[in-house]
Amino acid sequence: MASVEIQNVRKAYGDVETIKGVSIDVPDGSFVALVGPSGCGKSTLLRMIAGLEEISGGTIRIDSRVVNDVEPKHRDIAMVFQNYALYPHMTIAENMGFSLRLAKRPKPEIAERVADAARILGLADYLDRYPKQLSGGQRQRVAMGRAIVRNPKVFLFDEPLSNLDAQLRVQMRAELKDIHARIRTTTVYVTHDQIEAMTMADRIVVMRAGVIEQIGAPLDLYDRPANTFVAGFIGSPSMNFLNGVISDDRQSVVTGDGVVLPLASPAAAEAGRPVVYGIRPEHLSAGSADAPLSLAITTVEPTGSETFLLGSIGEQKVSAQLRERIVTKPGDQLPLTLMPSNAHLFDAKTGLRIE
Amino acid sequence: MMAILPTLAIFAYVRLYPIVDTLRLSFYKWDILSKRKPFIGLENFRELMGDHLFQSALINTTIIAFGVLIITIPAALVIAALIFYRTRSRLSGFYETAVFIPHVVSLVPAAMAWKWIFDARLGPLNAALSFFGVEPQAWLFDPVLSVICIIVLCSWQALGYAVLIYLVGFKNLPVSLYEAARLDGASGPQSFWHLSVPMLKPITLYVSVVTLISGFNVYAQAFILASDAQGAPGRQVRVLVLDMLENSFRNYRVGYAASEAVVLLAIVLLLTLVQFGLLREKGKA
Repeated sequence: MASVEIQNVRKAYGDVETIKGVSIDVPDGSFVALVGPSGCGKSTLLRMIAGLEEISGGTIRIDSRVVNDVEPKHRDIAMVFQNYALYPHMTIAENMGFSLRLAKRPKPEIAERVADAARILGLADYLDRYPKQLSGGQRQRVAMGRAIVRNPKVFLFDEPLSNLDAQLRVQMRAELKDIHARIRTTTVYVTHDQIEAMTMADRIVVMRAGVIEQIGAPLDLYDRPANTFVAGFIGSPSMNFLNGVISDDRQSVVTGDGVVLPLASPAAAEAGRPVVYGIRPEHLSAGSADAPLSLAITTVEPTGSETFLLGSIGEQKVSAQLRERIVTKPGDQLPLTLMPSNAHLFDAKTGLRIE
Repeated sequence: MMAILPTLAIFAYVRLYPIVDTLRLSFYKWDILSKRKPFIGLENFRELMGDHLFQSALINTTIIAFGVLIITIPAALVIAALIFYRTRSRLSGFYETAVFIPHVVSLVPAAMAWKWIFDARLGPLNAALSFFGVEPQAWLFDPVLSVICIIVLCSWQALGYAVLIYLVGFKNLPVSLYEAARLDGASGPQSFWHLSVPMLKPITLYVSVVTLISGFNVYAQAFILASDAQGAPGRQVRVLVLDMLENSFRNYRVGYAASEAVVLLAIVLLLTLVQFGLLREKGKA
């Protein structure tokens, strides 16, 4: 086991810089998720840790050793690829034992370590099969097994669950979390799915366009997003953003069409400053007729446990996720209430959080 | 259906008819000129069994075909791998072309050039060997050496095509597998041996059969290299097609030559079936 320190790392292809000076500290034994939309550089960063991409600037340390120019095989890391990258002509046992075979370990030792990993992953009955005879979830486990067998210092995951169907993804998510809890190997996990990141990671790194937007524990990111990008990216469905200005008494935000949005405490911004008022759909609830907000409903999506409503408050689009069952239809006006303490305030120009 | 009939008709006339007619002819005795064409059943095939010239032609052809195969397949795999993994080099296009050119060059001038290379007195091969103190060899007159010369010439020609097909194969191998192998600790040659070679097996099978079939059809290479003067091919390196030609147009025994062609067809057919069999087995695994 080891820590991974990434300091001011850059990646440039010619004049185009895709990673613009990124610093992340992955403590020993932790599970860090890199999330961000497609093209944000998270996979490139992971491949740089693995040694599959050259580093244009900065340093990467694994276990306090600078590995910038160290061959992948000497970094003592294991990586699980999105498409599993299993060797199609080898059996499951051969796939899992390939690295040990290359390292010229004795055969009984290889067999034992493969058997151990197979037991952890529930693959013991499949060792003689070929990858194409297994289901997607089983292949995913084999890819995991190939990593576990080597007992590496660091695990790297590159969107490992994105080829699985929704149900299996939830199941594998739990299994991965369970395996990490048992073997506690330092893990860096790349995903574009913020739910995966939220549920599995100790710490989340949100990236956009080659820079880090925020690093923090999952619930910190949810409760105190540093900017509108993180606020919109973390949480599903996305946070609602309503444009307005700080009221004269600084106790609320007033939108262009006169809707008053309450704040828990006086805003740390001067009156009249343009701001973005953020409120998560799940923090809106149906209120009595004299509630301050009124949602003009355009779409109703009942899922049984919850009801999703899409509509507008004034001119601005808003979605609400209500836990109670309400009978309503498009065209209705629904009074909504909210707890001001759940509201977030961002600067309209920079998008940065205002405390 | 109606639209492809003309194509089918042309295909049948130029492809199927000659095969069927050769099969038919092999049961007859015919001297090209006479109207009389008596049916003699399997008599031609019976005679083939005891024909020493035919047997030596069959043995020579088989040795050449398999010799070409044994040289071409590993050489093509290694060259294709070198070209593919050195693609950053500006010269990779040049290498590809250089390897492929022998395949498109007209056979006769190429063979004439090789004949000069192998020439006992004037050839550069003997000159080069003399640097290492090797006695000059009569490459094209010694029965064993001349077979080797033909194998070298045929391999040189077959190589370009095999490399091209292998390159296509290499380009289709998933990159992530090689990345996984790098992380697993494999060096370049280890990835080649443990990943590329087994994963290119279907291509190897295909290239093998194509190479073998063209090897069994060897004719002009032997005709030019192993004959002292054109038009008078020696019996030194007798190959099947040469034997057939002589029987048809020199000895006027068309039926007999047709039976030789049938034997050649049977061999080629068998090899193709073996390939399909192996491919299907691979599909089951």
